[in-house]
Amino acid sequence: MQALLEYNHVSIRYRENRAGVHSIKDWVTSFKNPFHTIPILHDISFQLMPGESLGILGPNGSGKSTLLRSIGGIIKPASGQIHCRASIAPILALGAGLELELTGFENIQLLLALNGIKPTQTAIQAIQAFSELDDVTLNHTVKCYSTGMLARLAFSISFYHDSDIYIIDEVLAVGDLGFQTKCIARIRELQQVGKSIIFVSHAPDEVAQFCEKALLLDHGKIIAQGPSSTICQQYKAMFL
Amino acid sequence: MQHLHQLYALTKRNVIVRYKHSVLGFLWGFLKPLIYLLIFIVIFSAQFSSVNNYVLYATSGILFWFFFSNITAQGIQSIIGSAGILKSIRIPSLLFPLAEVGSELFNLALALVVYFILMQFFGMVYTFQLLWIIPILLIFTLFTFSITLLLAALNVYLRDVGILWNTIQPAIFYLTPIAYTEELIPARFSFIIKANPIYYFIKLFRAPLYHSTAPDFKLFLLCGSFSVGLLLVSLFIFNRLKNQFITAI
Repeated sequence: MQALLEYNHVSIRYRENRAGVHSIKDWVTSFKNPFHTIPILHDISFQLMPGESLGILGPNGSGKSTLLRSIGGIIKPASGQIHCRASIAPILALGAGLELELTGFENIQLLLALNGIKPTQTAIQAIQAFSELDDVTLNHTVKCYSTGMLARLAFSISFYHDSDIYIIDEVLAVGDLGFQTKCIARIRELQQVGKSIIFVSHAPDEVAQFCEKALLLDHGKIIAQGPSSTICQQYKAMFL
Repeated sequence: MQHLHQLYALTKRNVIVRYKHSVLGFLWGFLKPLIYLLIFIVIFSAQFSSVNNYVLYATSGILFWFFFSNITAQGIQSIIGSAGILKSIRIPSLLFPLAEVGSELFNLALALVVYFILMQFFGMVYTFQLLWIIPILLIFTLFTFSITLLLAALNVYLRDVGILWNTIQPAIFYLTPIAYTEELIPARFSFIIKANPIYYFIKLFRAPLYHSTAPDFKLFLLCGSFSVGLLLVSLFIFNRLKNQFITAI
């Protein structure tokens, strides 16, 4: 069986402006290139087989978000190869892709269209039903939403996509108990029909619950990968 | 094909967001040039009593200047302003400045309809020559898009570009014979005007709109090839810079 997603020695680097301020003055006066390359991910190799779920653990700043963005094809690797033979649902983690000046409904339409899905009435209704946000709320501009409401909207849009891989980034951290339960049920459902899940969380018990495999990131490197129960123990041990 | 749908969605977003919290909304698309026009009439028209139909003369410049200035000013911020979307959805970054062109074309079309009706009172002659506006607008749009691409890409890395552009825009405006006639410029300074590409485009637009004639065909071809050339250069530079956008926004 072929892997859905395969990383071979992938490294990702960012170009950072050390001058701090992005200005021509600093560039001219320092007489040197203000841009420095900083490595974010280093020599990342792993595989995701169809129907498999992978947990990603790691302390803040270890490169989890960058890894997710490279999986989504948003960031290109500086070296190594990424083979992706699957469609991937958009990562709308905590509402980052939402347009604050638009209403909830307008955001649903915009994001569906940007992801190549026709924003039909049925699609919008299905998303609204999952998010449990009422008409009044969805007619408000998104900038008035609480973090929990943003997450509800973003994940409902994300889940609506019919993809092979779903990337779930910290969904259970912000939603209330009702929405958490709903998301857990949805994740189980997706797993049962053979979809792959990439699950990012700071709660090792959740990772152990959903994923058979996990990898542990630290300072941009995979320091361990294997069965999720072992990796979760190792993650917990990092903070002892 | 999918990119066309994405472009349409972004253009629609721009149109909605721009006038979201304003009472007059769409009307601003032609109120802004109208206010400028009134200022010019008050300040300059006595000065230019020799210019036939001064209102029509100024309008035929102002409308297209605002088209250029709105697209560049908004387009320059379009990539850094869409950081959220760019970080969560795989989408060509080129679409963001392009969507600014789309929404401004929409605005210009509305404004043109209004001014076409209004200008009959100021001596505009309705002839088939007016159809020249379409090809001229096409090459002017290419030119405007090329400039916007360059500025938007550079602005991702050096935010000075955006500030600098907003600062020098009024200078470019006054260095283009929009409110005044080019005869006003002393011969020894005329090279400044002649070095300004927008001058030539305004000249092209004025032929059908103000003089009711076809534009100078040679000038049209020259402007057209210049725009295409500039677009190729801009696309080349944009493509070189775009891979690191995500890390800098």
